[in-house]
Amino acid sequence: MTAPRSLQARLAAALSIGLALVWLAASAAAYAVMRHEMGEVFDSAIQETAQRILPLAVMEIIDREPTDLQRVAPVRPHHELLTYVVRDEAGTIVLASHDADPAIFPASVPAGFSTTATHRIYAEAALKGSLTILLAEPIAVRRAAVNHAAEALALPIALLVPLSFAGVWLAVRAGMRPIRRLCAAIETRGAGDMTPLAAGPMPSEIEPIAAAVNHLLDRLRRTLEAERSFTANSAHELRTPIASALAQTQRLLAETRDSRTAERARTIEATLKTLARLAEKLMQLARAEGGRLLAEAPYDAGPIVRLVCADVARAPDAAGRLALALPDGAVSTRMDPDALSILVRNLVENALKHGDARETVSVRLDPDGRLAVVNGGAVVPADVLARLSRPFERGATGADGTGLGLAIVDAVARGAGTTLALRSPAPGRPDGFAAEVKLPA
Amino acid sequence: MRVLLIEDDRGLGSAVRDQIADDGHSVDWVTRLADARDHMAAAPYELVLLDLMLPDGRGLDFLKALRAAGDVTPVIVLTAMDQISDRIAGLNAGADDYLVKPFDLHELGARLSAVSRRYHGNPNPLVSVGDLQVDLAAKAVRRAGRPVALTAREWALFEGLVQRPGTILSKGQLEERLYAFDREVDSNTIEVHVSRLRKKLGPTAIETVRGLGYRLGVP
Repeated sequence: MTAPRSLQARLAAALSIGLALVWLAASAAAYAVMRHEMGEVFDSAIQETAQRILPLAVMEIIDREPTDLQRVAPVRPHHELLTYVVRDEAGTIVLASHDADPAIFPASVPAGFSTTATHRIYAEAALKGSLTILLAEPIAVRRAAVNHAAEALALPIALLVPLSFAGVWLAVRAGMRPIRRLCAAIETRGAGDMTPLAAGPMPSEIEPIAAAVNHLLDRLRRTLEAERSFTANSAHELRTPIASALAQTQRLLAETRDSRTAERARTIEATLKTLARLAEKLMQLARAEGGRLLAEAPYDAGPIVRLVCADVARAPDAAGRLALALPDGAVSTRMDPDALSILVRNLVENALKHGDARETVSVRLDPDGRLAVVNGGAVVPADVLARLSRPFERGATGADGTGLGLAIVDAVARGAGTTLALRSPAPGRPDGFAAEVKLPA
Repeated sequence: MRVLLIEDDRGLGSAVRDQIADDGHSVDWVTRLADARDHMAAAPYELVLLDLMLPDGRGLDFLKALRAAGDVTPVIVLTAMDQISDRIAGLNAGADDYLVKPFDLHELGARLSAVSRRYHGNPNPLVSVGDLQVDLAAKAVRRAGRPVALTAREWALFEGLVQRPGTILSKGQLEERLYAFDREVDSNTIEVHVSRLRKKLGPTAIETVRGLGYRLGVP
């Protein structure tokens, strides 16, 4: 048998077993002491009786012919527990109690107490040893008395032991409550929740654990924040030189009259735009995978979705292709606003880029926080669909792209504790593509 | 129009300056907020292009101070900070538009015009005055359906009048618009350009208001 893994069960078992052993030892000791004490009481009674009877017997024997055995007639018929005989110097019984069986008295006994197989014997001599009185009490009587007393002792113990086991279990359970509370506090927090555990009164054994957890959370938060600010700073540091190079190239294109130079400048311009897009997507992916994706407090997602859609719709190829449907009320979410904007932007850009250019892209936010982006176009095969959210995977498309958009959305969704669901054909139609994310409330 | 560009990156700043000058605007380019404050105090700008991270402070603070002082000059923020929280902070501070680096210079031109049109209360780039149809976004003018070719200087003058139909622009205000082309504007430059515009657009297209300036004529 292996020891139980639960600290509570282990403690309760150890305490119960220990308690049972102590009960058992205490009972055994009590039994031994009781038996000894009862023996002494019984012995004292025999001795007392012998010393009372002996003078009477001596008187009676002296007064009569010492030839025949005389039995003391019973006052009233009864069964004797205590029997006695009086023997003379020769060993002849000269006096006996009415029930006395001479066979139980051994031929020679020392003065005082002795024990035969069945009886406790007490011998007392008188008249310089010429008369000896022997009293016998059956040992069974004593044993029965001790057993009765033991039974009386055992009954409450039999009731108290299970009661004490229940008490131990309840006490241990109550003692473990702060641990369970701490576990629940750690377990129920969200993936990105780095706030310290609530500081309440705690047992001194658990306080170091809570302190260590808080310390760890703090370190984790600082690491994540450093990573976050590094990502933000690198994005900034990277964007400015690219912006400068792109602007200079576009000026070169505007100012040159030489067609060969213009051609080269156009190539550089295109490359710089690709580089800019790739850098942006890589930064977004880094942010999505390393950042804190939950906001401290819930807020309304609607304005963010609207702002991002308005921004994306300004691109020349998106003009008039975006249909946004927002609910009347606020849609509360805890996804970090920047993460949400990255998610919406990538979903919408993806739909605009890969969807059928003749159809509108529908962006719908439901009151329960479900965000769905649907575009028209041919059905995407299931095996391609399954691969789309991996980095650098693309569907069978002619559109240029980094292949990172859906991977970023997937990373953001997972980081915020939700999932990205891709469907093709889109629900309720024979073709098209739908991406759905349930925003964390 | 007269534009103040606040951008500390040399490569980007010079390219943006040249691009909007080519579009027919006059540009002053500064690299520090302190210089920007001096320029704002000295000359009337119709639009400000503002970078957010500058060597002597945050562009956002400059913008907030501007708005707190009651200045309503349109401001387009140019920034490398692309997060939605930065964008919201910028818009809340009073920016009229927000352009994330790297951006296309032509897009910058389009946003500039759009913000300027909105500021003058007419977001529609198509303006019709008498027999003239003007597309402010495309910088194209048609007279009775036929396209009219304007030089960059002529357009710069005409745009100012079209953006505010019925409003009188002083000679000084019109000279400001030509500042991009000629650092020194001759005393009769405006008269010369107005007379050329009248030849192309019709004698009643631009009305002279004696002693005050010019306005778009109502034929």
